[in-house]
Amino acid sequence: MCAATRNIRSGSGSRMMSSYAAKSDVGLRRSHNEDRFCADPELGLYLVCDGMGGCNAGEVASGIAVEVIHRHLADASRKGQLPFIGEYDPNFLPQTNRLASAVRLANHTVHRESWRRPEYAGMGTTVVSVLLADRILSVAHVGDSRAYLIRGNAMQLLTADHSLVCDQVRQGLLTEEEAEQSFQKHVLTRALGVESTVEVELGEVPVMSGDIVLLCSDGLTSGVAPDEVLRAVRYVNDPDAMTERLIRLANAAGGNDNTTVVVVVLRESVPPGLWRRIRKRLRN
Amino acid sequence: MQDIATQCPKFIVKPHGGAVKEIAITKSEFTIGRKDGNDLVVEDPAVSGRHARVVKIHAVYFLEDLGSTNGTFVNGQKIERRQLRDTDVVAIGKHRLIFREENATPAAEGAGAVSASDRTMVITGSTSPSRGLSAQKTGTIQVVSGRTNRKEYQLTKQLTIIGSSPDATIKLAGWFTPKTAAMIGRRGQGYYIAAADDGKKVLVNNQAVKGQVDLKDGDLVEVAGARMYFYLRDPAAR
Repeated sequence: MCAATRNIRSGSGSRMMSSYAAKSDVGLRRSHNEDRFCADPELGLYLVCDGMGGCNAGEVASGIAVEVIHRHLADASRKGQLPFIGEYDPNFLPQTNRLASAVRLANHTVHRESWRRPEYAGMGTTVVSVLLADRILSVAHVGDSRAYLIRGNAMQLLTADHSLVCDQVRQGLLTEEEAEQSFQKHVLTRALGVESTVEVELGEVPVMSGDIVLLCSDGLTSGVAPDEVLRAVRYVNDPDAMTERLIRLANAAGGNDNTTVVVVVLRESVPPGLWRRIRKRLRN
Repeated sequence: MQDIATQCPKFIVKPHGGAVKEIAITKSEFTIGRKDGNDLVVEDPAVSGRHARVVKIHAVYFLEDLGSTNGTFVNGQKIERRQLRDTDVVAIGKHRLIFREENATPAAEGAGAVSASDRTMVITGSTSPSRGLSAQKTGTIQVVSGRTNRKEYQLTKQLTIIGSSPDATIKLAGWFTPKTAAMIGRRGQGYYIAAADDGKKVLVNNQAVKGQVDLKDGDLVEVAGARMYFYLRDPAAR
């Protein structure tokens, strides 16, 4: 029930070709892995869930969430006319609303299951999910699992943790450094499945060829500094090697928690300037 | 801050599908059960008459099952006796009791309590502070030339698409107009424009955009032959 590796596969669900790798590791201190992930290049869907709860409830929660989100998006892509769960936000594109809908459905399902058995009481999970369509990356998240966009030498955090310390940093009550040291680092202000409804935070960013999208559970970010993460993915071409390096970094930093990383490398299916080159050749 | 340090812990009582209530644990022995006379009466057929009790020993609270028929669970584990910590979830019958000890401080937890602070917990109901959306400026696009569906656009969306796509807000007419010619995105208090790198050229102040650039108030933007100005004004100034 521990480590799971997926090898690189390529998808052409959109004009962007993406190669990806995902890896989940139990770490050095825990007995089982409560993280779950999903990568479906056909749908352009990638997600990481970090479960919590007593006994095996944590992995039950993250497992349900991954399955429900994936199925909802697969159904929507097949049928098209699937009702949206929750309120449609006109400030976001349809595909982003669809992703939000899937996350809300997962919240509902995990919450329902948590009442079915006393062992599942209070179980929940984080979720960070992205959907890649054309040149737009939709992001939906709840909790402290993160998404980063790496372009050249810059790494941009696409999500804001729903945690007590992160809220305090936003309010100016804590500095980033104090937050790193805080004993309350693990206290979340939002999680999937804990309440009957959840507020899902959404984002949209344009992406381009060469960009790298990284999804991770807090096992990576609680011990490894952002510049180390950047260095681990920057000078490697193979997504599998990137995930290997990231897991190694997390375990070298103590391996206190489960760590899951999903890396997606975006490549143009038609290299830019190809038409121009063809036209030039025809003229000669 | 003496009064805060001596504040009682409480249970947040959640019946399945019912209204949530709070009850303070004011006594050093606090009983939970279906029958009247308990400190917390839980109307639930799956709860025993005398189901469980909370006992305070010095500053520490313990939960004990009193030989109930269906058991008492803390964070998913069936217990006989167990110390309660802030945010613990107690399950009895079809009820959930969340133990809250709000004055639990780093000192009270102690450096030794690594396992407790390492556990991920959730405090819901504390809504995240709004990020001042009301004070946020909204950008505007004013079209000077080109075949667009409107002359002025409020940039309220996270990502505004310029092109012929059905999802485009700024719709451009024309046979060879790409579906997505460019995108204007919001980031923090500002905006940026991203060129769709296979499409036609995007210019900002006559400079070709490679990748993306931040937009400033008064910038002249050219996308697939349409010319437009970007404005970023204070909402108060309107």
